[in-house]
Amino acid sequence: MHVSIFDLRDTLSRRSLGLLKFTLLCLLAYAPVLQGQQAEPTSDSEKQTVQLLLQRIDSLEASQKQLLDRIAKLEKAQAGSPAGVAVAASQTGMESVAPSEEQEEMTEAEKMDVNRTLLNIRGFGDFGLYGGNQKGEHTSFSLGELNLFITSNISEKFRFLTELVFEVHQDNDFEEDLERVLLEYSLNDYFKLSAGRYHSAIGYYNTAYHHTTWFQTTTDRPFLFQFEDEGGILPIHNVGVSASGQIPSGKLGLHYVAEVGNGRTSSSPNLEPVQNLVDENTHKSLNVALFSRPDTIPGLQVGFSAYRDVLFPLGSAGIGETILDAYGVLARRDFEWLNEGLVIRHSPRGDGHIFDTPGFYTQISKRFGSYRPYFRYQYVNASPNEPVFPQVGLRTGPTAGIRYDVNESVALKLQYDYTELRRQQAVSTLGLQVGFTF
Amino acid sequence: MRVGLRIRSLLGVGALLLGLPSNSIAQATPTSSETRGRPGQSLAIVVNKSNPIEDLPYSELRKIFLGERSHWPSGRRIAVAMMDDGHPERQTVLRQIYRMDENGYREHFIKGVFRGDVFVAPKTLSSPIVMRKFVFNAPGGIGYLRSTDVDKSVKVLRVDGRLPDDKDYKLQIDDRAVE
Repeated sequence: MHVSIFDLRDTLSRRSLGLLKFTLLCLLAYAPVLQGQQAEPTSDSEKQTVQLLLQRIDSLEASQKQLLDRIAKLEKAQAGSPAGVAVAASQTGMESVAPSEEQEEMTEAEKMDVNRTLLNIRGFGDFGLYGGNQKGEHTSFSLGELNLFITSNISEKFRFLTELVFEVHQDNDFEEDLERVLLEYSLNDYFKLSAGRYHSAIGYYNTAYHHTTWFQTTTDRPFLFQFEDEGGILPIHNVGVSASGQIPSGKLGLHYVAEVGNGRTSSSPNLEPVQNLVDENTHKSLNVALFSRPDTIPGLQVGFSAYRDVLFPLGSAGIGETILDAYGVLARRDFEWLNEGLVIRHSPRGDGHIFDTPGFYTQISKRFGSYRPYFRYQYVNASPNEPVFPQVGLRTGPTAGIRYDVNESVALKLQYDYTELRRQQAVSTLGLQVGFTF
Repeated sequence: MRVGLRIRSLLGVGALLLGLPSNSIAQATPTSSETRGRPGQSLAIVVNKSNPIEDLPYSELRKIFLGERSHWPSGRRIAVAMMDDGHPERQTVLRQIYRMDENGYREHFIKGVFRGDVFVAPKTLSSPIVMRKFVFNAPGGIGYLRSTDVDKSVKVLRVDGRLPDDKDYKLQIDDRAVE
């Protein structure tokens, strides 16, 4: 029987391999018996069996040598082919997929996975229960933002990115906003150009956290970085162009950002705060940022930014706006410590007054398994005569909370805030929020 | 003794024909299914053959895989490829290059793409064969293979001046990591 099998070895057909496998399975089943025989062959019949098996082994060894020689020849023949190994393997029966089929599958996978002209959508959302002691405020279940973050790799150099956000305002009406809409061109690591509506690179928080609470440790953004339509005091969004990239600096890890945009609306507080289509003046806002992510301390980022614009509220000859921000953050998966301070300077033209609004926050948290307790202290102090946001005044106080990651996509947060206000009763709020990504 | 050696030889031939792991065959026809389960093998970092890079410092390799480098010096965009969940090679890369677990890896790229720090997240490929094909087809591609899965269609990079067979090569696969 074994002689007929080895007569077929040169063909290496599937059928012969099946027979070989079956025979060898039988032989392998004998292996324990052989081991026992090695110890003490006690009878003539057993000695004969051993001799027979030794002959078979000689044949098999010869066969193995021939097979290996043949494989080596096949490999040599396929050396110039990109799919050499696959072809060789398939011919030895090791691969069931023919190279051409495999190539087709690969091409199809490429089409689907390279993401060219395809939309990649990731969703974020949150829902909460909030209550506090502020006059006129009722404990309420609240829908947060539903954010569809969409990207598309148009080509090797171009990418499209948008954040389509559905949100509910104080009047309980839904509203949809394209919070970010960007066409990005990436020449190399040192130069990336983006055009559209972006988050101003003022400081750290505004570029690290966009429209989702899921990434944030806390349930909300610091006062300083609240969105314009929620009473925020910074030009969080802008429409224009932005250049960014790395600066060759070795282990220092320097990066830059330079932005030119329409700036914020100033003629009336009732208008849309972001000048999406038309600028109310020809003056453009400028922002430059420089930061370092040193190799030696993973998670550390230190930097500063300077923003400049001129605002034209109705009846005003113009107000110069300068925003200077500096920060140092250590953001690791298990530990974060964010520290950021800024000053907003408004200098009305023809008026000797200068209004400086300082503010800062510090936030620290550490993860223990699925739990991450956190603490934040924040401060902002605007003059009652501030010409651009007179309603802000003083806001300062601590925040304490805990985040519990139910799994990799859902997080529960419980947060308490205590906020002191100028000439008003301090406000306490308690919030329970579930944030998720899908 | 002679019988014992021969039985091992017999088992080797049997393994060859049955498609089981075998040292000699793994060298002759490297496929993942054959070689998986052998601890202590090196992980080769592979790039497209047209890529002029020969050697990468470990720190640069890490930046490339993290998405902190998005272009080769030639200007071509880097396309990082990762193997699918469950491959020891992937676990090795997560542990030794990313220094993260699966959740950390996922979070890193969701955040990175969202913030704009990462231009494109890595592609996920199903097998070493597909990995070879991807790197062969993508001029900016970079991936990894068990050293016995490497063939001439891809180029193996030195890491800190060392090739996978060299002593003190950093990237070693621990197959038990996925068990």
